[in-house]
Amino acid sequence: MESKVVDENEEGPVVPMRVDRFGFVKQEHGPTEGLARSRSAFEYQRDERRIRKWRKMIGVGGSDWKQYVRRKPHVVKRRIRKGIPDCLRGLVWQLISGSRDLLLLNPGVYEQLIIYETSASELDIIRDISRTFPSHVFFQQRHGPGQRSLYNVLKAYSVFDRDVGYVQGMGFVAGLLLLYMSEEDAFWLLVALLKGAVHTPMEGMYLVGLPLVQQYLFQFDHLVKEHMPKLGEHFAQEMINPSMYASQWFITVFSYSFPFHLALRIWDVFLFEGVKVVFKVGLALLKYCHDDLVKLPFEKLIHALRNFPEDAMNPDILLPMAFSIKASPLSLSLSLSPFPPPSL
Amino acid sequence: MGAYRADDDYDYLFKVVLIGDSGVGKSNLLSRFSRNEFSLESKSTIGVEFATRSIHVEDKVVKAQIWDTAGQERYRAITSAYYRGAVGALLVYDVTRHVTFENVERWLKELRDHTDSNIVIMLVGNKADLRHLRAVSTEDAKAFAEKESTFFMETSALESMNVENAFTEVLTQIYRVVSKKALEAGDDPAALPKGQTINVGSKDDVSAVKKVGCCSS
Repeated sequence: MESKVVDENEEGPVVPMRVDRFGFVKQEHGPTEGLARSRSAFEYQRDERRIRKWRKMIGVGGSDWKQYVRRKPHVVKRRIRKGIPDCLRGLVWQLISGSRDLLLLNPGVYEQLIIYETSASELDIIRDISRTFPSHVFFQQRHGPGQRSLYNVLKAYSVFDRDVGYVQGMGFVAGLLLLYMSEEDAFWLLVALLKGAVHTPMEGMYLVGLPLVQQYLFQFDHLVKEHMPKLGEHFAQEMINPSMYASQWFITVFSYSFPFHLALRIWDVFLFEGVKVVFKVGLALLKYCHDDLVKLPFEKLIHALRNFPEDAMNPDILLPMAFSIKASPLSLSLSLSPFPPPSL
Repeated sequence: MGAYRADDDYDYLFKVVLIGDSGVGKSNLLSRFSRNEFSLESKSTIGVEFATRSIHVEDKVVKAQIWDTAGQERYRAITSAYYRGAVGALLVYDVTRHVTFENVERWLKELRDHTDSNIVIMLVGNKADLRHLRAVSTEDAKAFAEKESTFFMETSALESMNVENAFTEVLTQIYRVVSKKALEAGDDPAALPKGQTINVGSKDDVSAVKKVGCCSS
């Protein structure tokens, strides 16, 4: 997405908006975006080299990808952790999520879902469309192409899987995908994620009772206690539990309220390695702020857990920290819990 | 979120929940009350949000800890845990969407199933500024509120109409319940300990109301 000035207000005088490199409208006095500063010649050349490497790895239209992953999985993993070049992100996401294969196996299905089927969730979806990434130019214009494609993808999914239907939060996932690929590609990636083409199916996060969200929150609580006993104890004393701050992390995979450049980097890894990166990033955030958090009382804690400092959100600091969190023997209480422990 | 206000100087601490269908304006009511902000571009709430504000009731400082909940039915799996220990609730519907008013009955049941019977409930008809789109009459809502013994007010978070009143009324009524209970129990309300912070998941979860009226059950 290129930075550009847009003027698509429907009524009144035309007010030009300033947008960042991802297409989000810049706030006058908002925090500076992590990648906003101009790039040095060195960085530019480094990026060019990275893109060349990636193009070679992918091959024309993804033709060499599978073979490369099979031959050098560790190289792929390392490069993905460093961040997929933005210009190749949409294609690579489709390759690593398995959605490309689903698309090829199901020609015409998406169109069918859009045109011929009706969904019980249509009104719910419409109500949330303008409340999904409202500060992004693509989704801002009422009934514009962004809102229309977001509606189509969500409606198609709600028909495709009527048990899941539409759940608030799915819009942020679909919206993020739509910034990098077509409607139909975004739909199949959503299917790949919820049905578990490569990793654990995500659909349990959206089914009645939100069972997988409950499980993840329960597990996260235990992991906090295990990895940061002092903070875990403090949370228990202040009666803070993960549903107060981490539901959105899991339900939208950090796309709801985190800086977009960070969300993208998390998504790169999430699609390749699975949900464990959500746990790890969550733990890394707490770890980074640990010494402040252990001093705060209830209300300030809640606030701090929803407003992490800007330096904590720097992907080049946070992600290496997240990757360094290793699996360790989980506590007895966790192994006796109704939920199996996540393997990190 | 705006700046956090460190405000630990209070006499009572009351936990209040905001509930009602998705899109009726709960989050904007809360931001209007807690920060005097309103946004036409707000995101749908995922899970729960939290804010506080202190007000004066008679000569006391009453602090409200307010939980704002996602309205979609499926989220009740998470949000209903937040009803526990609440001593007040604003049950919000949208005056321009009749179905959100029809669903009030279910929300009320949900609330009564999960909370203490002393809970102060206010039925809130929001978006009253959209006069030309009104689909629920004030009379109907008033009659319903009387039948269900809840308080009632129409608000506009956008125009900042009655928002302050609605929250203040709920907090004042809770305060009355608490002081009355204290009197019945023979305590001097002025000598009451600070209200207990009520959080989800605690083992002995008692509300400020219950705590004072300990002998009632």
